[in-house]
Amino acid sequence: MPLRLLLTLVLMSFSTIAIAQDDALLDASTIPLDLKIKANAVIRYDQVTIEVKSYDKFIYKQTQIVTVLNAQGDSKPGTYVHYNKNIDVNSLEARVYDSRGEEIKKIRKNDFLDVSAVSGGTLYSDSRVKYLDYTPINYPYTIRFETEVVYHSTAFLPSWMPIDGFYCSTEFSEYKIINESDVAIKVKSSNVDNFDIEQHSDYHFSAKNLKSLKPEAYSPSFQTFAPKVKVALTKFRMEGVDGANNTWEDFGKWVHDELLAKTEVLPIEVITEVKELTKDATTDYDKAKLVYEYMQNKTRYISVQVGIGGWKPMLAGEVDRLGYADCKGLSNYTKALLKEIGVESNYAIIYGDRGIRNIDKEFSSVEGNHAVLCIPNDEKDIWLECTSQTNPFGFTAGFTDDRDALLITPEGGKIVHTTVYPTETNLQDTKATINLTNDGSISADVVIKTYGYQYALHEGVQNKPLRDQKLNLKEYWDYINGLSVDAIVYDNDKDNVVFTETAKVTSSSYATKSGKRFLVQPNAFNRVTGIPTRYKNRTLDFEIDRGFTDTDEFIIKIDPTLKIEAMPDDVSISNAYGSYQFSLEKISENELLYKRKYVLNKGYYPKEDYKAFRAFISQIVKHDKTKIVLISKT
Amino acid sequence: MKTQFTVLLLLISFSIQSQNYKFGKVSEEELAQTFDSNDSTIGAIMLYRKHRVDFEYRENNGGFMQKVEVHQRIKILNKEGLKWATNKVRLYNRSNASSERFQSLKGYTFNLVDGDVTKDKLKNDGVFDEEANKYWRYKSFTMPNVKVGSIVEFTYEILSPFIQIDEIDIQTSIPTKVFELKVSTPEYFVYNKLLNPRASYIPKLDVSSSNVTIPFSYSLDVISADLKDVPALKDEPFVNNIDNYKSKLIMELSMTRMPRSNLEYYSTSWDKVTERIYQNPDFGDQLDKSSYYKDDVDAILAGVTDPIEKSFLIFNYVKSKINWNDFYGYTSENGARKAYKDGVGNVADINLMLISMLRYAGLRANPVLVSTKNNGIPLFPTRQGFDYVICMIENEGFNVLLDATEDYSTYNVLPTRVLNWQGRVIRENGSSAWINLSPSSLSTDVTSLNVKINPDLTIEGKVRQQKTDYVAMNYRNRYANLSTDEHIKSIERNNGELEIMDIEIENNKDYTKPLKLTYDYNLADGIEEIGENLYFSPMLFFASEENPFKQETRNFPIDLTYPFSDKYMINIMIPEGYAIESLPQSEKIQFNDAGDFTYLAKQNGSFLQLTVSLNMKTSIILAQDYETFKGFYSKVIEKQSEKIVLKKI
Repeated sequence: MPLRLLLTLVLMSFSTIAIAQDDALLDASTIPLDLKIKANAVIRYDQVTIEVKSYDKFIYKQTQIVTVLNAQGDSKPGTYVHYNKNIDVNSLEARVYDSRGEEIKKIRKNDFLDVSAVSGGTLYSDSRVKYLDYTPINYPYTIRFETEVVYHSTAFLPSWMPIDGFYCSTEFSEYKIINESDVAIKVKSSNVDNFDIEQHSDYHFSAKNLKSLKPEAYSPSFQTFAPKVKVALTKFRMEGVDGANNTWEDFGKWVHDELLAKTEVLPIEVITEVKELTKDATTDYDKAKLVYEYMQNKTRYISVQVGIGGWKPMLAGEVDRLGYADCKGLSNYTKALLKEIGVESNYAIIYGDRGIRNIDKEFSSVEGNHAVLCIPNDEKDIWLECTSQTNPFGFTAGFTDDRDALLITPEGGKIVHTTVYPTETNLQDTKATINLTNDGSISADVVIKTYGYQYALHEGVQNKPLRDQKLNLKEYWDYINGLSVDAIVYDNDKDNVVFTETAKVTSSSYATKSGKRFLVQPNAFNRVTGIPTRYKNRTLDFEIDRGFTDTDEFIIKIDPTLKIEAMPDDVSISNAYGSYQFSLEKISENELLYKRKYVLNKGYYPKEDYKAFRAFISQIVKHDKTKIVLISKT
Repeated sequence: MKTQFTVLLLLISFSIQSQNYKFGKVSEEELAQTFDSNDSTIGAIMLYRKHRVDFEYRENNGGFMQKVEVHQRIKILNKEGLKWATNKVRLYNRSNASSERFQSLKGYTFNLVDGDVTKDKLKNDGVFDEEANKYWRYKSFTMPNVKVGSIVEFTYEILSPFIQIDEIDIQTSIPTKVFELKVSTPEYFVYNKLLNPRASYIPKLDVSSSNVTIPFSYSLDVISADLKDVPALKDEPFVNNIDNYKSKLIMELSMTRMPRSNLEYYSTSWDKVTERIYQNPDFGDQLDKSSYYKDDVDAILAGVTDPIEKSFLIFNYVKSKINWNDFYGYTSENGARKAYKDGVGNVADINLMLISMLRYAGLRANPVLVSTKNNGIPLFPTRQGFDYVICMIENEGFNVLLDATEDYSTYNVLPTRVLNWQGRVIRENGSSAWINLSPSSLSTDVTSLNVKINPDLTIEGKVRQQKTDYVAMNYRNRYANLSTDEHIKSIERNNGELEIMDIEIENNKDYTKPLKLTYDYNLADGIEEIGENLYFSPMLFFASEENPFKQETRNFPIDLTYPFSDKYMINIMIPEGYAIESLPQSEKIQFNDAGDFTYLAKQNGSFLQLTVSLNMKTSIILAQDYETFKGFYSKVIEKQSEKIVLKKI
């Protein structure tokens, strides 16, 4: 009896301390000084408790106090809740305080705006969001936000990210899972050792005084260095379907059996059609290519996400009838078509983005934002992007290349790495013949060929209107004043993945006049012009996520009334980041040959090396501006 | 004889047409037809479009319901055009009584497969209903089995309890082969009709009337047009708002004359429109109340007699006291009194309160109704033609426009969203008049640049800048909230090996004075040594290298927002051991009467002095002057990049 009383007393005194702390946190003047540096907002207090009731229900409780220091920090208080028919918002309240901690506004659940949460690119989705639309009167101000949400779909347990993006510091953050169920919970923490973060038990973490981080040029993506705790239930329920997740293997097995199985039935006419289409093809490669192109011409990308349909692909037969689907439906449809002609392929879950992001091979959970198809191949797997109506067969550079993906096989899930496009094959080769007249104007024939990742950067222009195609070249060569594009021809060789742009251009004032001299930059058509930002104290490592190679050869024909007065020396630089060289050769009295090669390597480098990297690019910028001096003979 | 023949022809062509465009009947020829287009902008082509507006009398609905009938037949020409197979219709959905109904949706996709026409029906699985928020609902649909070469066709109706008719776009972003437009309105509703006069495509409309007998007898006013080859509307850079140039029919409700009721006027002239706005309690009443701020304003103005100083104090007080919630409007949202208490309000809350306070302090302050750039230029006496209100002080010798929603705007320097042609001032006696909103005075940006060349060929020196009016406002908008570090970084960015030190800003907070900026710089890559000579552009990192006007031709005017004067005074010390080999020639270039560029360079002992200035006296460049202007600007860029050559002695 006395013990119990004591316990209650202790608990009570604890709670009073907590409230007292709370009040002080509402006053902006109590923010520790070093948390204000480079911060637009400060998370004063953030407490998340997740009560797992059973494999199909958990309750998420959050109390958060955020002080916003300026207008850039307005989005930092996370005053919104997503919900749908499997997620109920029990309670929701926000209070706004002025800089001294005086309450100025209270917002109840029904005063939050309630709108559909359809993201760009999606035609329809059943998810909704309640959010607070608050206009600040003065800075700083503080918002206290409290919510309780019940989830009946347990595939995602909210993870913990105590630093909420750049320019935001954290005074205190706590994360706790109370497991009242008989289901085991997996947990993985990353980058927590580099910060002031304490782990109290398997499912209980807290952090204090985390300083704000600021972005820097070429820095790796935020999630690679920010602290994070990921959690997942080993048995879960997703929109009414039960699932298991101990390893990638059994999670993948679940995806295969529950989401993909029995979705591949096709109408008999289509089966006949693709069999007929591929009857003369001899290899699996050729057959698959024909089927991929057939699919590209027949379908288009439309995204509709409803219930389990947000995870389960649309039936292949439906895709065939409607001629549209999202990434899941189109990948699965292609898989079904390939199966009919005897080519096996696997559905794969991945992060589709220009930036490279891996599926975490060490921790299985519901991940990814995209689906693709993989045809296993002894030498090199073939990856298919089924949402594109234009991609060459097997080409994935720029969106799903060089990353870990989850391959779904009948035996279970497997982590595999997608195609890597190496530095030497991400090639851009530019050749030009330039005629320079004695008034400083030029006319030139330019041919740009791109391969690999650089193909992905260039080929999109062919589908644009002529006006934009011309503007595209004018932007690309924006350093040439008075550039006029007289003709452009494109050739897209999809079989070999080579994109060729042939252009005729003129500039009325290419050479810079200085009295009777002309300054001419021999590198007319491929200049590096931007030097990476200078940092007094670089704080983050840096990364080149894709390497590339540029080669250039320009023949410059000079008007006979001009003669060459001065010419730069050849340059050759090589270091860990890449290499750069150019040479200038007089091939006749009035003809010069300019050759250039620039290679930038893929790599991850410590922050101390940034200065040297910047110096390298700066040298290139300088040498790309190198000039020849011409003088009038008369 | 001859007339008869014409009539016959007309009849024939009519019957062919109606046969052609019957819903659900697409011929093999139409599918096989190819379109010769030298511009691949066009992803799709509207083969046929019908837009009908009718009013139906519904006894049980308590009167007339507006019915909009849409029918479109679109051919998909390439993959970019596939998006035309998906549609999204917005519907008003406030309550049962005032919601719009979407009905009778039917659609087909037609394809040509091995010479046969196939037809896929739009089913329920391609139709989606989305409750966007408490006011709006979206109906979306996407057509089945669409590929390049398909024709999609759909029709639907919108039934609405409102008698206001939405603007009808005659142009879309793709060309239309045939467009049948018909708007029939009962005699009880009177509309002002107008085709956008700024559009480059202005069709001819037929106006007629007919009679209805069921359920009772009344007459209809009918506007119709059978149009062929309606061109696509294409956007261009530097256009203030492409909608201003779109061909469209605007039907503004001006009056209702129901049987056995009084006439009710909606709008007839700008005077009437402003009068009605003035009578709106969310507008006029806001100007009269003073009790809620009286004591505070009295305290601020204690001892101040000069009206200009009074206005200054009040303007700053309103700016600091009430924050703008990003909502436009010429009527008060929650009332100025509440806005004052909460410290938040919409445009009208803030500016009507400002006017009220200025009047209280004895100034002649009046509201000016404005249509912002996003709202387009009002074509028509309509209350919807305005979406914003600002303040004008008309005291003897002191005539200014004010907008207290933005921190950095000041006397006659308004947020750029407001700078749209003209506004309508409403004076205290209720009379109103147009006033010009476009800034007339030049906003200036004066830079003085000192250049010292070091023996290692780096350059160092000092920069002093003075910015006024709009140039100052824009600069404050961009940089006032940045730290010194970020400010420096943003100047250094894209300027090569430039390092900025000791940056200082004067009058950053005093918006009535010019913004002054000084800093020291070090430029490591400003000079090129080739052979024995040194080459450099005297404007250093201030030289613009890129002509923003890249298009070859233009259809619409360029909006430069405000007239400006950009001036550089450059002082270069010639380094020891060098002499001038060549200097850029002094030159003056003219753009019509509206702009000029001067470049003066002279040697003064061991110093080189340059004055470079660009003046634009107008903020609008007409499309017909585009080529001249582009040429002018190109010469400006060329001149700025010219080099000084120094030789070793």
